[in-house]
Amino acid sequence: MATKKKRTPNVQNDSWVVMAADSVIDTQKHDSDPAFVRLRNPATDAASLYMLSSGDVQLFEVKAFEEDFHSWFVGQTVQRDGRLLFVTPMDPLYLIIPYLIKSGKECKFQPMDQVLMDEEFPACSRLLSCTGSLASLHHIAEEKEVEKLKFHRYSQEKTMNWLKKKVERTVIVLKARNISVGEGVKSTTYIRVKSESDYHEEDYLRHAHGMISEYLSEELSKALLKHLQLPELTSPKVTEPPSKKRKLSELPVEAGEDYTKFNSSDFARKPPKKMTAAQKSLAKVDKSGMKSMSSFFSPKVKAEKN
Amino acid sequence: MDLSPFETDNSVSCRLASQIPDVCRTEDCCLGIDEAGRGPVLGPMVYGICFCPVSKKQELKESKVADSKTLTEAERENLFQKLDEAKSYIGWALHIISPNTISTSMLQRSKYNLNALSHDSAIDLVQFALDSGVQLKEVFVDTVGPADKYEEKLSKRFPGIEVTVRPKADSLFPIVSAASICAKVARDHVVKGWNFAEDLGEVDSAYGSGYPSDPKTKAWLLKCLDPVFGYPQFVRFSWSTAQTLMDSKGVTVHWDDDDEDGEKAAQRHNNRSMLAYFSASAGGNDQNPTRQTHRFFTERRLKSLDTL
Repeated sequence: MATKKKRTPNVQNDSWVVMAADSVIDTQKHDSDPAFVRLRNPATDAASLYMLSSGDVQLFEVKAFEEDFHSWFVGQTVQRDGRLLFVTPMDPLYLIIPYLIKSGKECKFQPMDQVLMDEEFPACSRLLSCTGSLASLHHIAEEKEVEKLKFHRYSQEKTMNWLKKKVERTVIVLKARNISVGEGVKSTTYIRVKSESDYHEEDYLRHAHGMISEYLSEELSKALLKHLQLPELTSPKVTEPPSKKRKLSELPVEAGEDYTKFNSSDFARKPPKKMTAAQKSLAKVDKSGMKSMSSFFSPKVKAEKN
Repeated sequence: MDLSPFETDNSVSCRLASQIPDVCRTEDCCLGIDEAGRGPVLGPMVYGICFCPVSKKQELKESKVADSKTLTEAERENLFQKLDEAKSYIGWALHIISPNTISTSMLQRSKYNLNALSHDSAIDLVQFALDSGVQLKEVFVDTVGPADKYEEKLSKRFPGIEVTVRPKADSLFPIVSAASICAKVARDHVVKGWNFAEDLGEVDSAYGSGYPSDPKTKAWLLKCLDPVFGYPQFVRFSWSTAQTLMDSKGVTVHWDDDDEDGEKAAQRHNNRSMLAYFSASAGGNDQNPTRQTHRFFTERRLKSLDTL
C-alpha cells in the first residue's frame, strides 16, 4: 500500500503568490518599476531579498510563508511551490547600520555615499534615496555639516536609544495584538494555567528584543539586551543524554529521577512508543470486521456432523 | 426505477425507497439485505433491502427471484418490475454509495474501510425500515467479512430481531435474492447513464463493466487520466488499479500523512537520521548554526529569502 514517492526537486518558477502593500506598486510618480534586490542582511551578513519601490522611495523586506505539502491553484494552472510571499515595509536604517559601524571603526566623519559601498551588493547605495533615510540618520549617527555637505559617524549610544524605542514600540503592538510571548508556550506539553494577561513586562520586552534582533548583528543584539537591562538567558542547549556510566563521587547517592511525580494526579501519560514506518502504516488501516491473520492458523472448527 | 434523486448530485450518497406496503406495518415481516458493485473500480456500490410479511414468503419464492448473478440483465429487469408491481406486500429501499464517497472514506486521514462502510449502510437501511413502521422480525444478510462477527454486531444493534448472516445468502433466501435484484438493477442503471460532473470533452463512455479485470475498463482508465487531477468522480480513487495508474502516469502529489523515511523525513521530524552520522560534513548549508530565527517567525513559518 505505502508506495514510496520520489520527491522531484523544486524547479524555479517564474510566478509567485505575493501579498504586498498598495504602496509597493504605486508607480505614479516615478518611471522605474518596483524591483526585487539582493542586499546584505544585517543579521546574517549574507544575501537576503528585499524590494525597492519605484524610484527607490521605500524599502520592503520579503518574507516567505513556507510549509511542507502546499501548492497553489492559480487560475487554470497549478503552482507547485505553496509559498506565500509577504512584501512588508522596512526601516532602511537597519540595513545602513552595519555599513556605518564598519566605517565608524576609522573614527572619521564620512559622506554617506562613501559609507554605503559594497562590491558584493552594489544596490545598497540605493538605500539612500529612500524617504527618510538621510533625514533619520541622526538616530544612529553623529552629523557634521561642512559647506552644505553632510558627514556622518556611527554612534553606538544613539543607536541603542533608537533601538530601545523600537523595542518599546514593538511591545505596544505585541500587547495590542494579543501575541503570546511567555516562555511557557515554548513547551508544547506544558499546559498553561496562566492567562495571557499574566505575562510580565519582561516577557514582552524579551520577545520584542528577539524580533528586533532579527534585523541586527549578534553583537548589537547583545548590546541591546544590556541596554534594556535584561539579564542574558542561559538557555539550555540541546542537552546530551546523560551518560550511562555512573560518575564516581564521594557525595551521598541521591535518586537520579523523581518518581513521586507519577503519584500526583496531573501526571500525564507518556506518548506511546515510537513505531517503525511499517507499523505506522499498518496501524492506519481500518481493520474492523476483518479476520485476524492468526485465525487462519488456528485449528479449523469441525463441521457439525449431520 | 426513478434514479433522479441520485443523478442530480452523484458525488454524494443517496437513499431511494418504494412505498411502504400497509400490510408490512401490521404483520410480522422478514427483510433481506444485499449489495451490488463491491468490486468494480467504477461507479457506486449499491445496498438494497427488500421486505415483506413473513406469511408471503412462499409467494415470493414462487415468483422465481434468484441470485442476481445467475440472471441475465433482461431477467433482472423483468423480476424487478414484478417486485415493484407487488407493492401491496413487498417494499424495498436502496442506499447508493457514490464512488466519491467510497474514495473519500477509504482515503481519509482516519481510514474508513469498505467493510465498515457496508456494515453501516446495512444498519442504516434496517433502521430506515424500522423508522418507517415495518414490523421486522427476521433479517437475512449476505455476509461481509466473517459471518459470525457480523451477525453478532447486527443482533446487538437490533435487539428483538432475529438476524441471520450467511455467505451466499442471496441464493439461500428469496428475500435476499429480491434485495440483490433491486441493488443490481439500480447499479446497472446508474453506471449506464452516469452523469459526468467533469467536462471530459470527447471521452467515450465505453468503460465496460467497471471491474478492474475488464480490458475495456482498463483502456478507459488509461485514456481519461488527467495528470493533475487524476480521474472523474466516477472512479474509485482508493482502488489499487486507479492508484497504480495515477502513481505511474500522473504528477506525484505529496500529502502530509504520506509515509516516508530516510533523510528527508528525519529532517522533517527534527531528528537526525542514522545516515547523517556517516556523511562528510553535517550542517554545512547553515551559515550560522548558533543563531536561530526568532520564534515569532518560526511559529508563523516565515523565512527570509535570498533568491526567488
